[in-house]
Amino acid sequence: MTWLTLLLDVQDTSAASYLPIAIQLIFAAGFVAAMIGMSALVGPKRQTKDKLETFTSGITTHGDARQPMAIKYFLVAILFVLFDVEVIFFYPYAVNFRSLGWAGFVEVLMFVGFFLIGFTYIIKKGALTWED
Amino acid sequence: MNAIILSALCGVVMMFSGILLKNKSAIKYVAIAALLVLIIGNLFQFYGIYTIDIDSKGLLSFDRTGLFFNTIIFVATLAYFILSGSDIERAGPDVAEYFALIFFVLCGVTILTSFNGLLMFFIGIEILSIPLYILTGSDKKNLKSNEASLKYFLMGSFSTGILLMGITLIYGATGSFGLQSTTIKSAVTGFSSAGILAPVGLVLLFISMCFKVSAAPFHFWAPDVYDGAPSVFTSFMATIVKAAGFFAFIKLFAAKSEDFGPGPAWKLILFVIIVATLFIGNITAVFQQSVKRMLAYSSIAQAGFMLFALYSTNDFTKDGILLYTAAYSFATIGIFSILTKMEDYSLDGFNGLSKSQPVLAFTNTVFFLSLSGIPLTAGFFAKYYMLASAIKGGGSLSLVIIAVLFAAVSVYYYFKVIQAMYFKEGVAATNTPITGNFKVALIVLAAIIVILGIYPTALLGFYYF
Repeated sequence: MTWLTLLLDVQDTSAASYLPIAIQLIFAAGFVAAMIGMSALVGPKRQTKDKLETFTSGITTHGDARQPMAIKYFLVAILFVLFDVEVIFFYPYAVNFRSLGWAGFVEVLMFVGFFLIGFTYIIKKGALTWED
Repeated sequence: MNAIILSALCGVVMMFSGILLKNKSAIKYVAIAALLVLIIGNLFQFYGIYTIDIDSKGLLSFDRTGLFFNTIIFVATLAYFILSGSDIERAGPDVAEYFALIFFVLCGVTILTSFNGLLMFFIGIEILSIPLYILTGSDKKNLKSNEASLKYFLMGSFSTGILLMGITLIYGATGSFGLQSTTIKSAVTGFSSAGILAPVGLVLLFISMCFKVSAAPFHFWAPDVYDGAPSVFTSFMATIVKAAGFFAFIKLFAAKSEDFGPGPAWKLILFVIIVATLFIGNITAVFQQSVKRMLAYSSIAQAGFMLFALYSTNDFTKDGILLYTAAYSFATIGIFSILTKMEDYSLDGFNGLSKSQPVLAFTNTVFFLSLSGIPLTAGFFAKYYMLASAIKGGGSLSLVIIAVLFAAVSVYYYFKVIQAMYFKEGVAATNTPITGNFKVALIVLAAIIVILGIYPTALLGFYYF
């Protein structure tokens, strides 16, 4: 077992110290493969037409998913992600509100300012005018 | 710091100028004014006046070489705006956005000249690349432009992935993103104690940077992208962006040279890459019928010469890369500004240009002479410094001889254009009337190239004093 203790306590950064990670990778892949393979081999199979259908929150599926969609949806989705990220940035600020003090407040104001500049730009370019 | 903040701000100003100004040609003047502010801001810092000073916690460090390189790049961009500004206006409907994207690219350049660690290096590369993907595809109705943009984007993101993998391995080996070498070499083997990880990471970094500067085995994207993109933006990509990529490449590998392990292997890799780049760039350029595509291959060939700066690092190298950037960028910007004015991009399209537009033909000749490295033009001393640095650095004479031979090959295809302009009959048609201002700007640019060719210390004098 000396090699294992050596392995777990290596301080240097040689390639050998990455061996535990390699072992974990092999274990993870093996575990997933074994579980899926086991359930496929051992598990009962009673396939009916309803069971094989795509599950869409209990609603009956209809039509093909590959339909052309208006580009506006993507635009809204991208803008949503932007504003979502903005809100996420507020959380750490809110937690550290007191310790960051006025300097932090100015920095957050700057961040919001940059964001508003981008928002004005989007509106002025007409990215949110839906009617053609 | 001045240049980084100002270039980003200028980009935002340009974005809004498109909304506020209805007159298209006014946007160009706003861009030129913004660029002048940027140049002045950068010069302030070059002469030690810090107007904007933010503590970057050691992520950025500013040295004279980087700031001087910034200045060269900004002046080249100024020449580009003055000569090709009206072509940018014709490139598409969103003129202000094109200028804004160019300013964002400049922001990436300024980060690449001042990074002090792999983290900022990566950010600089990305800020530099992403606007370029958009600019490449700015001709939305043109299928070739779309193809070029997508190809550039996919290949670019792939090489970014390789870059990140390399950074990860180096971080794993050394435990820091810093530029300084943190590994201790074993006295016995010559290998560093970090074992195999750091060298592998460096190789990945090397491959990815070779891709970004289109060095030989990784050059396949360059001709298609340069050919497909609107000519104005090809001009920008092939000169300013490429030079900045080289500067970052050299800065990174000069700092990391300690990690290279035993020297000869790296020298051999570089030797092979330089010869392959020179060979593929020059030989393929000979067979091109389109001048634009020929210039794309010629830019690969010129990359081979710039790689000499990596081969050996000494005093000549620093001067060489600064001079090469100026000589190559000015000449290529001039050639492209004339090319975009031509009706026909093929070699035959230049037939008889000396009769219809003598000024254009003459300045174009000066630019081509400079690219091929004929004495009395800036290109001669640029090539001279590069080859001299290779010889000084304990050099490989065979490499220098090969480079000179390929420079001779390059003369052949550059002179084909000169031959077409002066000795062939034809009517070279331009797609827009040539204004007097454009001619004056071309003559000034040609004069700068000749002055740098006679007196290269004019440029380097600014750097040292």
